Amino acid sequence: MQQFTLIFVVHLTALFASTACIDYDGFLNMKLEHSLNCNDEKFCHRGSITLKSIRTGVPIIDQILFNEKHLEALKKLANEDEFYSIKTTITTGENSKGTEYLSSVKAQAFLENGLSDVINAWILPNGAVIAVNFQVANSTQPLKQATNEYKLNSKFYLRYIEQAPVPDTASYIQKMERDREAREKGEMKDNRSFLAKYWMYIVPVAIFVMISGATNPEASAPAGR
Amino acid sequence: MGNLSINLKPNFMGLLKCLNSINWFIVFFSLINLSMCIYEDQIGKFDWRQSYVGRIKFAQFDTVSTARKIIVATEENVLAALNLKTGQVVWRHVFESTSSGNIQLLHLSDQIITVTGSNPYLVRGWDLSTGVLIWEWGLTLQKNEHTDFSEWWVQNGLLVHMVPKFGSHIEVSVYNVATGHNRGATSKLPAVWINEGCVLSPPYYTCISGSPGNQLLLSMDVTSDAVQIISKPLAEYTTARNGNLNPFDTNTVIPGFLLNEKIILIRGNKFEAINIAISEPSASVALVDSASGPLVLQTWNDEAKGFTLMAHNLVSGQRVNEIGWSDRSLSIPEPELSAVICTKTAREQHVCRILVTAADDASHLIQQEGRVLWTREEALANVVAVEFVDLPVSDLDAAIESEFDQKEGSVLAAFTRRLQSQFQQLQGAVRALLAGDAAAADEPPPLVRDYFNLHKIMVLLTDTGKIFGMDNLSGEILWKLYEPNLNTEAAVMFTRRSARHPPHDAYLTVVGKHEETGNGLIVSLNPIRGTPVGEQTLHLDVQILQCAVLYKADAQKLHALILLDKDENVQILPESSAPLVENMYMHVADRSSAVVRGYALRHDGERVSAKNIWSVDLSGGGSQRVVWSVSKPAAERIHSAGRVLPDRSVLYKHLNPNLVLLLTEGPDPVHKDVVVATCVDGVSGGVLSAHVHRRARRPALPLHSEHFLAYLYYNDKQRRHEIATLELYEGPERWVPAGAAFSSLRGARAPHVQRHAYIVPAAPAAAALSATERSLTDKHVLLALSTGAIVELPWALLEPRRALSPAGEAREEGLVPYAPELPLPAEAVVNYNATLLRLTRIHTAPSGLESTSLVLATGLDLFYTRIAPSKTFDLLKDDFDYYLISVVLAALVLATYSTKYFAARKMLKMAWK
Repeated sequence: MQQFTLIFVVHLTALFASTACIDYDGFLNMKLEHSLNCNDEKFCHRGSITLKSIRTGVPIIDQILFNEKHLEALKKLANEDEFYSIKTTITTGENSKGTEYLSSVKAQAFLENGLSDVINAWILPNGAVIAVNFQVANSTQPLKQATNEYKLNSKFYLRYIEQAPVPDTASYIQKMERDREAREKGEMKDNRSFLAKYWMYIVPVAIFVMISGATNPEASAPAGR
Repeated sequence: MGNLSINLKPNFMGLLKCLNSINWFIVFFSLINLSMCIYEDQIGKFDWRQSYVGRIKFAQFDTVSTARKIIVATEENVLAALNLKTGQVVWRHVFESTSSGNIQLLHLSDQIITVTGSNPYLVRGWDLSTGVLIWEWGLTLQKNEHTDFSEWWVQNGLLVHMVPKFGSHIEVSVYNVATGHNRGATSKLPAVWINEGCVLSPPYYTCISGSPGNQLLLSMDVTSDAVQIISKPLAEYTTARNGNLNPFDTNTVIPGFLLNEKIILIRGNKFEAINIAISEPSASVALVDSASGPLVLQTWNDEAKGFTLMAHNLVSGQRVNEIGWSDRSLSIPEPELSAVICTKTAREQHVCRILVTAADDASHLIQQEGRVLWTREEALANVVAVEFVDLPVSDLDAAIESEFDQKEGSVLAAFTRRLQSQFQQLQGAVRALLAGDAAAADEPPPLVRDYFNLHKIMVLLTDTGKIFGMDNLSGEILWKLYEPNLNTEAAVMFTRRSARHPPHDAYLTVVGKHEETGNGLIVSLNPIRGTPVGEQTLHLDVQILQCAVLYKADAQKLHALILLDKDENVQILPESSAPLVENMYMHVADRSSAVVRGYALRHDGERVSAKNIWSVDLSGGGSQRVVWSVSKPAAERIHSAGRVLPDRSVLYKHLNPNLVLLLTEGPDPVHKDVVVATCVDGVSGGVLSAHVHRRARRPALPLHSEHFLAYLYYNDKQRRHEIATLELYEGPERWVPAGAAFSSLRGARAPHVQRHAYIVPAAPAAAALSATERSLTDKHVLLALSTGAIVELPWALLEPRRALSPAGEAREEGLVPYAPELPLPAEAVVNYNATLLRLTRIHTAPSGLESTSLVLATGLDLFYTRIAPSKTFDLLKDDFDYYLISVVLAALVLATYSTKYFAARKMLKMAWK
């Protein structure tokens, strides 16, 4: 019996996870390549990010450490106000061939912020990634140095593309219903007489008229002269 | 009675006080009044409509009814009657734009008979004078093949339908025209000799058949009961090895055809060659009846002589001298004789009226002495792009402006300049006085900017490659330029220099494709006069991937054109502007693969190169394709950076000038069809927001301005059109300090996106946002509906922040409570009862008046108007009574002084007492 409930709970969590707008689950493998200190090739290895499950979105980030040569090349790019480009190749269970994405950050900014970047991967409900964006994180931390090597400080976020809102007719109709009911209720209650309902308005008016009537003879006397 | 009025006195003061507070309510209610109507007497004051029918396919003169007309059927699937004298549309029927509205036959007898569609066909009869539908019957063929080459004609009150099956047989069906009753069912005529090159000249079907050198000219009357084939060796009629058959453009007399510039008639089941030479292979030939026997008319565009028309008598072969002329001033490229009618006057002279349709889609009605009665520019039924161009200032204003421009110099120099310009102004005034009003009345108003900059030139680029310059106030065509090689698919127009920089002229560039090669074709012209300038017509030797205008102007105030070609090379026009390229980015979206690439452009001292810095793949596993890509209007101004909330805090807008909205659609295994809207930064390639519409199709009509976006899509599940709206906010604090430049390349913050969707209870055909000079005025959305109305909606109704039942604070902010359906009130229709058929686009442009936005709707009709989204707050009312207010003012001044005089007198008298 206990086992049954356990299964039920697991099932429920799965249901909740599916509200993150994803119809499909599987692994996601991202191969990161950059255009820095590559001898002859245009792009060379920078690291990889692996997700066991798209639904949970927990990444395992494995990246190389930058050495002096990397940093020199980066500084050269920064001096020329050039871009530091990263190519990402994504393979999933469905797409074993891999799709390439390109993103760039200003080398200057990347260097200033201590080699820290934010990686956003946007994923459609069918499990396909539309974009991988690298952005420089706004951190003022200095370069982390560990025996001539510099650590890349990357944060990875998997962004689920949500379902767009639809015209909200149901709640509008409900609101209309509620309004109508409230009005009907109001009308049902109000079967008192006119005087009983509006005495609070009539009395001050009557008093006002009486007072003005009383003051009249005095006011008219000087006008008459 | 007197007592009563005295009684009321103190109460009256109270009433006044009460009214004073009510006053505010009146002001308030007048402010929220959203209706934007015009009065009946204002119709046509600020707006005009021009009706078009499209390129003429068939035309016939109406000789039956008293009011002379030309009945035309066009390639835009329009049946219309044109007034013979003015060329105006008398009546018009617009059929479906798809193949079901395709007009196959136009026949005139006592009524108009048309055949439309392509299996099923609809045969209709229309009243000649009113265009009212009299009868209609449908026809569906069992077999759908070979109907592309089918022919229709009317013979002896019977409708004949012929379907040739090449190399096999001809199927002929005869129907009663009015009832559709099939008289003799379908007969199959064996004819193995027919092929694609055959021509029909009712009722004869003529072909050239046989092996080369041994060819036969074969013809057959397809309606006769007995199959009779006329057969002659081709060598009898032509010396050329290959025969080329062509039908006459208009033939109302005898069955016949053209064989290699030779006229051959079929008379008494025999071919008869006519000895009239066709002067040009490209000439359009017509056979028409006249009082002195049948005539052969031919027309062509001669290189030396211009438009040329010639007529011969068919029987005698003699030239008819009174019909025929050449005119160099007429520019009618590749003329085609659409319809000809010839009668004789009392003095035995031919009177011909000739309707000529040219390659630029223009139709001209010409009289035989070469006088053009009217011209219809039917290219305007297919406008592709529109640009509003400011007019130059008058010489006098330019002089004043240049005077104030020169800042340096001593006081004395400034004083002499002042004197000089004053003297010039005086001279101008004297000259104007001397010239008098007579000269001014004859000339059209000069093309100079008016005080409010409401007068502009609209440059219209049409599908055929004809470019028009049009006066926006009158709708008059000022100039036209035909560029036959221009393919305007995905063509764009840029104003590279406005007319604000005398002595430099305005400069406009059209970037399109070459008709044949598909390479880039660039046309540069002066939009005020329509004359080519600068690089003129430039045919590139490579295909263009993307183009843009450099945001910086060079010394001549000209903005350079940047072209990214297929091999990712960059071209700058003019090349001297290359050093100005800095911080320039471009993006290219591939429609089918849905890959979007971003490029950074850099000038390295010698040349400009493009580097691919980002790419995203929107294909979503290969099924999606890009339908729309919209960025912000180039010269957009933003008035306020945020919205004030009821608690006096500010909600800052996310005003990213590089934001691009990409709409993709495609099938989905689970949700049938999905639409994905992605907001991408065009510089860094970063995705700012994305969302999916399930079971939705056909994303369309995207709008993008300031911090908000909207687009339409079709909801497949509910079977209705919906509009999705988005607003991007930074939050209660600014990301960058006020005045600092926005940079897409810094920071990794995502804006807060507000989203909502509304039902559109109509089928929208086009959409646009109002545009004003400083964006102070409210933004309104113009929605063109398939019903022919343009509805003006305030953005407040589309705002995604509308809550279902707003709480106290939101109510204070003035948000309209959410209602799922957009109201489309009749009083918000800007084109009142002037129905606009088949609208495709709406273009808006700012005027010099902040309140006013200029609107041009294009489609089959052109409609121009101006709208004032926040009412004309900077303009006196149209019916403002200047006379009354001056009289009142004068009276008040008079009364003041007279009372002063009387008061003084009274005081004097009092003092003497």
